[in-house]
Amino acid sequence: MDKHILKFAPELHKNYLLFILNGKLPNMSSMETNRSVLMYFALAGLDILNEIDNISDERKKSIIEWIYSLQVVNEKELVSGFQGSTALNTKENEGQDSPYKWAHIANTYSCLTSLIILGDDLSRVNRQAIIKSMKTLQLPNGSFKGAKDGVEDDMRFVFCAACISHILDDWSGMDVDLMVDFILKSISYDGGIGQGPDLESHCGSTFCAVASLALSKNLHKLTKAQLHALRRWLLSRFDAGFNGRPNKPIDTCYSFWTGGALKILGAYQFIEDDKNNQFVLMTQDRYGGFSKWINSIPDPMHTYFGLAGLSLMNFEGVEQDVLRAECYAAST
Amino acid sequence: MSDYSSDENEGEFVLYRNRPEWRDVTPVKQDDGEEPVVAIDYTEAYEDCYDYFRAVLKTKEVSERALELTQTASYLNPANYTVWQYRREILKGLNKDLNEELDFIQKVILKQSKNYQVWHHRRVLVEWLQDASKEKYLTEAVLAKDAKNYHAWQHRQWVIKTFNLYDGELEYIDTLLSDDVRNNSAWNQRLLLHDKGGLSKNKHVTKFCEELYKSGNHSPFLLAVLVDMCYEQVNEGGGDSVYTLERAKELCSDLMTKYDTVRAKYWQYMIDTIEKKAREGTEDEAGSSTN
Repeated sequence: MDKHILKFAPELHKNYLLFILNGKLPNMSSMETNRSVLMYFALAGLDILNEIDNISDERKKSIIEWIYSLQVVNEKELVSGFQGSTALNTKENEGQDSPYKWAHIANTYSCLTSLIILGDDLSRVNRQAIIKSMKTLQLPNGSFKGAKDGVEDDMRFVFCAACISHILDDWSGMDVDLMVDFILKSISYDGGIGQGPDLESHCGSTFCAVASLALSKNLHKLTKAQLHALRRWLLSRFDAGFNGRPNKPIDTCYSFWTGGALKILGAYQFIEDDKNNQFVLMTQDRYGGFSKWINSIPDPMHTYFGLAGLSLMNFEGVEQDVLRAECYAAST
Repeated sequence: MSDYSSDENEGEFVLYRNRPEWRDVTPVKQDDGEEPVVAIDYTEAYEDCYDYFRAVLKTKEVSERALELTQTASYLNPANYTVWQYRREILKGLNKDLNEELDFIQKVILKQSKNYQVWHHRRVLVEWLQDASKEKYLTEAVLAKDAKNYHAWQHRQWVIKTFNLYDGELEYIDTLLSDDVRNNSAWNQRLLLHDKGGLSKNKHVTKFCEELYKSGNHSPFLLAVLVDMCYEQVNEGGGDSVYTLERAKELCSDLMTKYDTVRAKYWQYMIDTIEKKAREGTEDEAGSSTN
């Protein structure tokens, strides 16, 4: 306990997230292809802390420019969207047709949401190109793969596709019924939802599935029995903090994944906030950031989800309730 | 450095810019713009390797040296899916022995078992070879260390379903469950087997449940499973199964009046649902016979 603090320390988290955003990160090479996701965690975390307005206009502008430098518009190969990093960017290939310069759906999602957080009007986003390319990422069973080739498919990318469609207010980039079918087929025996059919229920994939249904206004496709079992399964994940699967340890990020799914399904009120926020607060690091478990190393993902989890609890000092009102509207 | 193993003696790692066989290639720097975001402090070896990676990617060079370069690049960042994609194209282009690649990726997976890209590489190789004979062993090796590793279960399910490798799975699951009866990943896998033809068609399940029922056990959970089996059969048209609408009604009313009275409304709802399904089934038949 000596290394950790119970009191909420927003100032430390702000500094931690600003370092992720602006610093030069050691030991992060394995995140290279997902730098835009890290950026999203930093910006969204700062947003929850109400700190976006404290970023200078010049810096906001340079971040926006950097994001647009990741945009790929390639109508021929249908690989438009955003890349996760500048790893393949060179002075020479600023033109679009270089090998493997393909968008990745998770990074398209992260870049669009980051632009919105920064107040950009998305006017330089090539919407048509993104929608057309995204359509080619949906598989015959309704799932989505992350990119044109060489990557897996699962519920995470279904969620990204639903968010992109929602943000661009254009659902023509997917067969929505097919997506719903994939989600319903991924409901497991215990009522939760896995990354795909027959796979074990998991709160990450369950949130992705439930949010995709809500965003596409298809929550009513869950039968009463499915809804009942799903709520029960999610509520059962609570044990002084949320876990992500039965008989797994509690973990900061599930305060968002599990809590968020419960919010969308209108069952969050059965959880005792006090117990949950105590657990989340105990995963704060004394130098800023949140970690997965108590007494472990903080990282950007758990920092964002820790803050988002506190936000779901309407915890004082963070932006209230990170899930937007429209999400609930879709659920009722 | 480039072969992932720390226990083999490999000599000193030489930067690509100091290697004679790369002298003809001009490395290509990453262009991160003037004010980068979430910049990463790369190591010298990382920067050197990826400068050459960008250079060969430009021309999509297919060669032994490019193959070796992708190995280093994947070691430095196994999550870089472009590296793996390019590597696969080189493997094909050079007509390499894919079994050797299977051995290589097995070593990587055993060290990086929570990485999406390395499992995907494995899956593509198995598809190319149409040989899944080593997959159960590999997933078992990973699950021996972490019995709930999601990637390993996902891969295992994929090979079982794709190559029809159901034999022996029940026994394997039983060993995991005897180690840890609370391993939900294993229970989920068990359902994969039983659910194939539906619970009501699985003789092990029906025999066990019926014997338990006859012995006087009236646990609501047991009765609920029997109701579910009736629902399943009614859904599928029934045939000569003992799991009928009538049986469901009888079980549900026992639950309502005797064994699970707190959920009486729920069991009434189940009766209505199964009855409705039975009616729809009859209408479908009537409809199809007139066509």
